[in-house]
Amino acid sequence: MAEHNTTGKEGEEIARRYLENKRYSILEQNYRTKRAEIDIIAKHKGILVFVEVRTKQNERYGTPEETINYAKRARIRRNAIAYVHRARYNGLWRIDAVCVVINQTKGAQRVSHYENIVEG
Amino acid sequence: MLIKVQSAANSGLEAIGVDVEVSVSNRGLPGFDIVGLAGKAVEESKERVRAAIGNSRMEFPQRKITVNLAPADILKEGSFYDLPIAVGIMASVLQYEVPKDSLFFGELSLDGSLRHTKGAVLMALFAKEQGLGNIFVPFPSANEAAIIKGVNVYAIENLSQLAGFLLGKTALQPIVYEEHVEHVEDIEFDMAEVLGQEYAKRAIEIAAAGAHNILMIGSPGSGKTMLARALPGILPRLNEGESLEVTKLYSVAGSMPPQGSLITTRPFRSPHHTISQIGLIGGGSKPQPGEVSLAHRGVLFLDEFNEFPRSVLESLRQPVEDGVLTISRARERVTYPCRFMLVASSNPCPCGYLGHSKKPCICSPREVKKYRKRASGPILDRIDLHVDVPEVDIAKFAENQKASSLSEPSSAIRERIAVVRQKQAVRFKGEHIFTNGEMKNSHIKKYAKLSREAELILTRAGIQYQLSARSYMKLIKISRTIADLADVEYIERNHALEALQYRSKAYELD
Repeated sequence: MAEHNTTGKEGEEIARRYLENKRYSILEQNYRTKRAEIDIIAKHKGILVFVEVRTKQNERYGTPEETINYAKRARIRRNAIAYVHRARYNGLWRIDAVCVVINQTKGAQRVSHYENIVEG
Repeated sequence: MLIKVQSAANSGLEAIGVDVEVSVSNRGLPGFDIVGLAGKAVEESKERVRAAIGNSRMEFPQRKITVNLAPADILKEGSFYDLPIAVGIMASVLQYEVPKDSLFFGELSLDGSLRHTKGAVLMALFAKEQGLGNIFVPFPSANEAAIIKGVNVYAIENLSQLAGFLLGKTALQPIVYEEHVEHVEDIEFDMAEVLGQEYAKRAIEIAAAGAHNILMIGSPGSGKTMLARALPGILPRLNEGESLEVTKLYSVAGSMPPQGSLITTRPFRSPHHTISQIGLIGGGSKPQPGEVSLAHRGVLFLDEFNEFPRSVLESLRQPVEDGVLTISRARERVTYPCRFMLVASSNPCPCGYLGHSKKPCICSPREVKKYRKRASGPILDRIDLHVDVPEVDIAKFAENQKASSLSEPSSAIRERIAVVRQKQAVRFKGEHIFTNGEMKNSHIKKYAKLSREAELILTRAGIQYQLSARSYMKLIKISRTIADLADVEYIERNHALEALQYRSKAYELD
């Protein structure tokens, strides 16, 4: 596996543990359909939460936050709606982002959680 | 959950009720939408409300929030929907009852405090008319709203305070209107400071006494501007009805200072001659009052009258005559009052020295004619008093400087004028006018009775000088004021003769 792919995987692991610590119950990780991919789907305080994880090895060439642009948000939203329909979910849901920076020794240097990054 | 909060929109000096409906849904992706033909400022209200609630140590609900401004077919503009929207959203979190008989109005700051918002008087008046008992307004605008009696005005400083009150945790007393006894007099010049010019002063006094329009023509430095600027010092204060009219206009125009209350001094507006037509008359896609309306019940001073663009001057014709102005735009039509006293000043010719006793005029007759023609006949015809303000004799001036007590101070003149204005107010009781200047032909017939001699003089003058019917009527109006100053009921010969001195002399050029 190429280096950036393993970085992504590790980032998602860190994010999952982080959310579990925050008492999020993880429903799905790396949920995939033909078109869609959702990093983490969790439930927190009765709200269905779709989590996009962004990971970077360092912040020299930009922060993970910067990689979430308008098109990305729109894609996440589309995927989330697809899931909501498929699961026939009829409650409140939202989209979060977890940004992870990991260093050479593979420890988490920074984990930032942003709630409700897409509004409808 | 659906929450309703009452507010209002203004269209000119009228207000229309607006229901702010806030729906907080327990389904779907969180979001915040405003519908109901919201203008740009209302659209931006989202960000202010969100930040204000967050910064007031309250939770902004992560729910799908839809705000509807009903009726949805009139355009909502302005920043004052911030407060009703915030009250609705907070209600969904804090679970308080939004009081039904209350109107909410005000712009939010990002820190949750309320800002001075224009139109508070109008909103309070609307609340009263609609039988709503309470109005919640920003603290800086509360004194304005409190002018309206019969409504409880709550002055709100910030959202936390309001939330505490609505939850019943803290008490809040409606503010009590205090009549401001002290009048801040901001008078630039006293009449006593204007040396000489007794003839012009007399004309100014007549104009002030009857609210007549006046045009002063004179060479540079003769004191025209000073005379005009001394006018506010001799005009009587606004009466109760006039005060409310003026305050409403200033509130709508956003010209009320924070903490401002009832305006009791007469407006004095002196726009520069580069003013645009819209600036003078009012307008815009949401029509705002112009200078003519801001000068309502006061003075509109147009210095260097002939320098104003012709189109701007011509647009004055109707407002000068009617005292009200209807501004029609594609979306709305509003009526603003504009009963002002027009005071204009001008030089006699481009070089300024035509008719000067010592300095020669270097203008050709053609230049003079061209200069004079900038103000059209119809406009000049609408000005009651035309006065020459000759140059000041320097020798006399120096002498007078030593004994400056020779001239009458403004305060003495003001007292005299107040008496005459009072007399007019009594005379026109029930006629919906206050002054001789406002008289229509029917009023003239009824209230300006001429003695036989006076009538003869005026009729003969009318024929001799080929006066228009309007000029003739204006002569009678001025005679009426002169007679009032002399405290007599019938207009006599000498009053008519004096009035004749102030007629337009434009024809003498030809």
